[in-house]
Amino acid sequence: MKNASELTDFYYKTLYPTLQELEEDRKHLRHRIVVVGIIYSLVVVLIAFSLSSFIAQSPDFLFFIGFGYFALGAIIYKFLIKDYTTEFKQSVIKPLIHAIDDKLSYNSNHHVTEHIFTRSDLFSEPDRMNGNDYVRGNIDGTKIEFSDIHAEKRHKNSKGQESWSTIFKGLFIVAEFNKNFHGKTLVLPDTAQSTFGNLIGNWLQSNNFSRDELVKMDDNNFEKEFVVYSSDQIEARYILSHSLMKKLLDFKNKSEHPVYISFIGNHIHMAVYYDKDLFEPSVFRSLLEYKIAMEYVKTLHLAISIVDELKLNQKLWSKQ
Amino acid sequence: MSTSLIIVIVIALVLILMYNSLVAKKNQVENIFASVDTVLKKRYDLIPNLVATVSKYMEHEKSLLTEVTKLRADANKPNISDEQKIALDAKISSALGSIMIAVENYPDLKANENVMHLQGTLNELEEQLSAARRAYNQAVTDYNNAIEMIPTNFMASAMAYKRKQVFEIVESERKNVNVKELFNS
Repeated sequence: MKNASELTDFYYKTLYPTLQELEEDRKHLRHRIVVVGIIYSLVVVLIAFSLSSFIAQSPDFLFFIGFGYFALGAIIYKFLIKDYTTEFKQSVIKPLIHAIDDKLSYNSNHHVTEHIFTRSDLFSEPDRMNGNDYVRGNIDGTKIEFSDIHAEKRHKNSKGQESWSTIFKGLFIVAEFNKNFHGKTLVLPDTAQSTFGNLIGNWLQSNNFSRDELVKMDDNNFEKEFVVYSSDQIEARYILSHSLMKKLLDFKNKSEHPVYISFIGNHIHMAVYYDKDLFEPSVFRSLLEYKIAMEYVKTLHLAISIVDELKLNQKLWSKQ
Repeated sequence: MSTSLIIVIVIALVLILMYNSLVAKKNQVENIFASVDTVLKKRYDLIPNLVATVSKYMEHEKSLLTEVTKLRADANKPNISDEQKIALDAKISSALGSIMIAVENYPDLKANENVMHLQGTLNELEEQLSAARRAYNQAVTDYNNAIEMIPTNFMASAMAYKRKQVFEIVESERKNVNVKELFNS
């Protein structure tokens, strides 16, 4: 497997002619978006002016115009960038994934199924889920799949108005685990201890009735970052060996984002919270910018390298 | 309700909570020790197979094999205390480790399918044992803390609860297991 710097080289050297073409498209697209945006804004302002007497009578109407302006604007923006996004994913993201491992398959429209997301038990069950950039394959005999995911929950207020809140947005990875286990073990970011300190934080964690038993781990650095809940105290430690705890900590530090991990049904599920749509092309920044390239490479490499980094390909245990 | 009655009820509640938490911690230690015992038994059961498979090759390490067989016999004796089990476990771990290192000196033996299978099983058991020991140590630490810290220490001494011993984790188990070293080197 290529490392991150080799991939950045690949991004610039092999994909350079494609990137140059796309960069031209991006500049045209940016120009078109600015022109369409100005015309669209002017039209909305004109409509608002023509309805000024009506707005004076009921000022609430102005709020609806504002809401409509942003909603329709977002739809127009999505429509304008659609072709460019498709082109970018097929000619940049897909080759990047194949450069990491040519046996991996990529589909820009699919995502990890809702069944797997719910099975992970990391977040509450979503009422609506979408995502894209689905990658699936086999690395050194270990099955892995991941995608971008946006899971949401529906809320209704007393007036019956509907609203949506985000449960999770980011990268969701699922892979076969190399040890057999029967229970359920969850590794979550330790917000209680970091917010309320050791004493109160620990008390809060051990009284979390929505989770299984609290498992105190014998690695101080790991304990500072994560909190572990499991249906089986011994199995949790069988899965989370000293070396795996260290690797998960390294993974968390490398990702620089909150990481949620669960071990259920002989699989490891990892959710990295980015709070943004990943692998999307930048419209207002150059594709040739180093930082932009590094972000794509880093995220892809982070997802695919977990098999290697967590040594999931080592069939050392009874599971062959 | 009079103030004194409220105070009596509160004190009684606190005492009940302390008593229950101490009993729960003691039971947790016993419960996890039972799991450690199960894995230890699995390991004892594996020893005769291991000895039978490697003994015909390992002429120079006969004493090691005799020692591990004797330790197994001791561990299987009835009515041995938890402390003795912990001490025997440490000795068996060390003896099995030495056998595995000795296997490296016999190329035929190292490539033998039975030995490789035994190594895999032993590896798995060691990992399970390590997990059970760590869970036990955490339960013992919680229990020991409770019987030494204020205010539960007063209740614990009234209940005649004594400190319990933890398993000492072998330093080599903290290291990552290297498959290449185990099978190919």
